[in-house]
Amino acid sequence: MTNTQSSIRPAFPVVLAIVALVAAGCGKTQPASFRLNMVQATKTAAPEAGLEMPWAKWSQDRQSQVATILEAMFGTPDEPLALPESGLDESKLRLAAGPVRSDIVGRKNGLYREHCVHCHGISGDGMGPTAAFLNPYPRDYRPGKFKFKSTWRDAKPTHGDLVHVLNQGIVGTSMPSFALLPPAQVDALAEYVRYLSIRGEAELALYTYAEQELGGDEKLPTTREFLVDEILTPVVEKWAAADESQIPIAAVPAGVDFGLPASDLANRESVARGKALFLGDGGCVKCHGVTALGDGQANDYDDWNKAIVEVSKEVAGSLDTSRQAPTGEMSPEKRAEHRTRAEWLHAFVEVLEGDALRPRTIPPRNLRQGIYRGGRRPLDLYRRLYTGINGAPMPGVGPSGPGGKGSVADAEIWHIVNYIRSLPYEFDGELGADRPMVAKDRF
Amino acid sequence: MHSRLFQLLALGPVLVACHGCGPQRVSAPVADRQVAEAIRAGLVVAPTSATAAGEAASTGTGWASLKGRFVFAGTPGQPKPLVVDKDTEVCGKTSKIFDQSLRVDASSKGLADVVVFVRKASRVKNPVPETPLVFDQKNCEFLAPVFVARLGQPVEVRNSDPVGHNTNIDGTSFNQLIPAGQTTTYTPNSEMGAPKTVTCNIHPWMKAYVMFRKDGYIAVSAADGSFSIPDLPAGEPLEFQVWHARSTGPSGGLGLERPDLKWNPKGRFVITLQADEVKDLGTLDVPGSAIGT
Repeated sequence: MTNTQSSIRPAFPVVLAIVALVAAGCGKTQPASFRLNMVQATKTAAPEAGLEMPWAKWSQDRQSQVATILEAMFGTPDEPLALPESGLDESKLRLAAGPVRSDIVGRKNGLYREHCVHCHGISGDGMGPTAAFLNPYPRDYRPGKFKFKSTWRDAKPTHGDLVHVLNQGIVGTSMPSFALLPPAQVDALAEYVRYLSIRGEAELALYTYAEQELGGDEKLPTTREFLVDEILTPVVEKWAAADESQIPIAAVPAGVDFGLPASDLANRESVARGKALFLGDGGCVKCHGVTALGDGQANDYDDWNKAIVEVSKEVAGSLDTSRQAPTGEMSPEKRAEHRTRAEWLHAFVEVLEGDALRPRTIPPRNLRQGIYRGGRRPLDLYRRLYTGINGAPMPGVGPSGPGGKGSVADAEIWHIVNYIRSLPYEFDGELGADRPMVAKDRF
Repeated sequence: MHSRLFQLLALGPVLVACHGCGPQRVSAPVADRQVAEAIRAGLVVAPTSATAAGEAASTGTGWASLKGRFVFAGTPGQPKPLVVDKDTEVCGKTSKIFDQSLRVDASSKGLADVVVFVRKASRVKNPVPETPLVFDQKNCEFLAPVFVARLGQPVEVRNSDPVGHNTNIDGTSFNQLIPAGQTTTYTPNSEMGAPKTVTCNIHPWMKAYVMFRKDGYIAVSAADGSFSIPDLPAGEPLEFQVWHARSTGPSGGLGLERPDLKWNPKGRFVITLQADEVKDLGTLDVPGSAIGT
């Protein structure tokens, strides 16, 4: 009897705990909401001298105001809104947004949450639940930078560029191909990516404005002149200009035959020319290395990671200075100011730990693997070489804009393309004496 | 026996409860739906009357200049040598490479590389100069730690080294490879609100700042700390922004104790100049606390 009792008594609370946990689940189910860019929000809410309100209160007030303004301009993840000035197609957004469901005619809705959200996150911040486990990290759309496109380096991608990435996927990363989806669905997803990106850039513009123009307790204007003309339009204009911002494609010079393998004798001179440019004026060797194994330069970051690295360094440095400050010698006002600043720095550390992924370096690509993230067609390689890769350290060898001068003439870039095509099949870094050696001949 | 087992089992939910579900993100504020709807109502309707907002009122006619000299009151300390680990047969060969972010003249204490610019001006006197400016790099260092130019003025980006550099100007389309000994021309086409970094990804220690302004009302303090901006529009309030790379102020703004100018912690002051006036701000003392490590 005593035996049974002693086993039942502890059993009861345990069962209760399990039942309670299962019943409660992990958090209440609430409608999905966009998350603020907390790193930027905290960074641009640095306390000012003579701030009368407690810092935590005003930064919270400002952030709530940004969230409210963004909801007014862009709606919610369940009900996206496209202002006419945004140039966005609201019917496409509705197809992509919201929970996964079928509408009255049986058409699939909620495509973003079905296919994208687990990596790219509900706000398009590249911080979905799986993001931390992926390498490279999923793209954060909010800074409005895209890598694989047909336009000038700082121009936006065209709609076709986004659709192309969705259809092809990005080889060598976790981004799969969505070519099996009906074209209308891919189209809607590309539009939704644009929506998240415009929203993200508008958010950044609000922080910049607040930081540059407003005092600590001033509110952001909510007029149409400000939100539409000053915040939204500059971002939208860049997207609208994408189609006219495509880089020129030089004619393929004689002696380059992409119909044949790069190892074919017909391409031999061109490949040798490409190699000379790779090692010389093209400067490719600087990062990709003499062997093209990508071992030249390995401690750089892309723009997304660099932003976190830089801000982390700054915060760590400021925290050190703050801890060493002689608070005992300060006047009461100075000490209060000092305390506010320390409060901000500690909040910032928390945000950086919880709201940013741990920064990673970006190694130069190993060109011997035959894996080209932006696509393997000669045209894709040409575009990567011409403008470089936006957001990545990779510089361009073509001009930086219309009318400029590149370090390699446009048509010559095709020779580098040819050389790069040959690299996965080249033996020991040198062309064979008699004929090029291809991988299958080695075995 | 059983009780042990149950105690162990109880640990499970406790652990889960303590750990929580998913990563710990700080709580982010959410939108106020009612306020958002009110704002939205104002956004979707077309503006009823064309309110002539905007440009600074053009009241004056003449032109004036502003000058001054920044003097660092703190102890600058020794510049840090930078880690040079690439192309060492060229980089840092002739002279060691040091951090250039705080340059103080040893004798005059003048603070170099302070940027002073006008935030908004209604009139501009001079056309955009067509003579190119040169932005050079040698010994794997940018020769100008802070470089400014006017929109439309060609900038010759030069590489005077026997190794290739890529010059990567943040916030622009310019990230181009410049082969050894070559020059390429870049014409800035978008205005910057604050100086941006220029880096070379091949040689990661290389860092400088650039700023491009539409009106060209921008100056960088020289080695002795002096600066001057000529041909400013007279008769209108001009807001100046002062910036330094190592400033502890918000966004690099350099806040000084100058109550006569109402110089604020963001590094700004407003001044209205008279025609043909040469306004000398005199010696501008930059306290040691305004410059961070």
